[in-house]
Amino acid sequence: MGEQLGPMQLIFGASLEVQIVIFILIALSIVSWGIIVQRYLVLSTAEKSVHNFEERFWSGIDLGLLYKEGSQMQEEGVAMAGMENIFRVGFKEFMRLRQQGNVDGEAVMEGAQRAMRVAYSREEEKLERHLAFLATVGSVSPYIGLFGTVIGIMNAFIGLASQTQATLQVVAPGIAEALIVTAIGLFAAIPAVVAYNRYSSKVDSVTGSYITFTDEFSSILHRQIHTTG
Amino acid sequence: MHSGLRYLIGFNGYPFSAVAAVVLHCLVLGFILYWNTASDSSEFDLVQPTVIKSLFIDENPQLRERRRLERQQIQRQQEEEQRRLQEQQRQQEEEQQRQEEERQRQAEEERQRQQLLEQQRQQELRDQAERERLEEERRRQEELAEQQRRQQQQEAERARLAEEAAAAAARTEFEVVQSGVALIQQFIEEAWNRPPSARNGMRAVLRIGMLPTGEVTDVMVVESSGDAPFDRAATNAVYSAQPFSELQQMPINIFNDNFRTLTLIFQPEDLLN
Repeated sequence: MGEQLGPMQLIFGASLEVQIVIFILIALSIVSWGIIVQRYLVLSTAEKSVHNFEERFWSGIDLGLLYKEGSQMQEEGVAMAGMENIFRVGFKEFMRLRQQGNVDGEAVMEGAQRAMRVAYSREEEKLERHLAFLATVGSVSPYIGLFGTVIGIMNAFIGLASQTQATLQVVAPGIAEALIVTAIGLFAAIPAVVAYNRYSSKVDSVTGSYITFTDEFSSILHRQIHTTG
Repeated sequence: MHSGLRYLIGFNGYPFSAVAAVVLHCLVLGFILYWNTASDSSEFDLVQPTVIKSLFIDENPQLRERRRLERQQIQRQQEEEQRRLQEQQRQQEEEQQRQEEERQRQAEEERQRQQLLEQQRQQELRDQAERERLEEERRRQEELAEQQRRQQQQEAERARLAEEAAAAAARTEFEVVQSGVALIQQFIEEAWNRPPSARNGMRAVLRIGMLPTGEVTDVMVVESSGDAPFDRAATNAVYSAQPFSELQQMPINIFNDNFRTLTLIFQPEDLLN
């Protein structure tokens, strides 16, 4: 064969349907990689901030002082992340209820816990955003690729029907063109699946540490109510 | 937290990650392109399908031989033509030289003649006129020869073109032969019942003689597989597949060159044992 047959020639020489499918797959791949990078940044900052905050929290610092430090940082424009948010919401609610004076200790605890639960679910939502998209790309793009392959092979066989003498040269380019679509589908799907699995376990571990922290913090608040009140 | 990371996650990290994703895809694309241009084309060379139940070695030795001869002839002709051109040039050069000498000699004689008496000069002049006439005559003859030579050249050129056309015809003839062989192969494959004693790796070579009607006149086992039932099954396959009536439409000269006798190889390759 005189002309060389490479992936590029196959893609640009493909039929319109196949090219549309390839375009969709490449777009999906680009978007999912965008999400992969963005989630990586968000999740790794969340993990780091959990570590940092736990260190500060258990360093024996006074809780009121910790709260004030946080307020100061917020004024400086530093974004509040994850665990510290939960702490601040819970502590604020606790202090407000206690300052009202006539509120029962159990009611104070309950109010603080409710506030923390709301903050927790908001944080969890932030971490899990876009992960569903990765899962969708991972499970659907092989099928899209397969669809393109089926169309491509169909075209190849239609072309074959009009030939009197069937040779490998007639079918081979069509089949190669069809197979490259599957390859692109897998290219989009594999990173999405890997990232989805990795990130969902990361989200689990971070939210797990949030839950643990919420419990520990409420037990501290509980102790404070019963020692002072 | 160091500030570098915080810088990256400005606007929740969306701009950075979009850029990163696009850059990554461009890199992959670039790599594929590079790999594509770097890899040599031999990787993609397609080969003729070889896994066929019965193979034909007959790739028309006559045709190949004839094509080789034709190529040699054309080459020889080209060489001859070149030689002829060189010869011609040489002749022209010689001619020029001779004329030059002639002219010099004439000039000298003229000078001598000027020293002679007038009567003598007149006579000389007459002689010279005579000589010039002869010269003229000779030149005309030369021109004629030249013309003839040119005509010959044109004829040779025309012959060469005709031969090239014949070679092109041979190429299409090759295709006709290929399709004929494929047909015969298909029919024989359908008619071939392999005996239970057939094993992978067995090989029987048969030479069949055919008439232009597609009928098989004789089948000869040229190379036995060593298994008599196998040889017999191959022979029977040829007889039960005939007549190959499609060969009737073939031009008779192609048939004579390629199908009058045909060598077939029977070789089972798809058996389990």
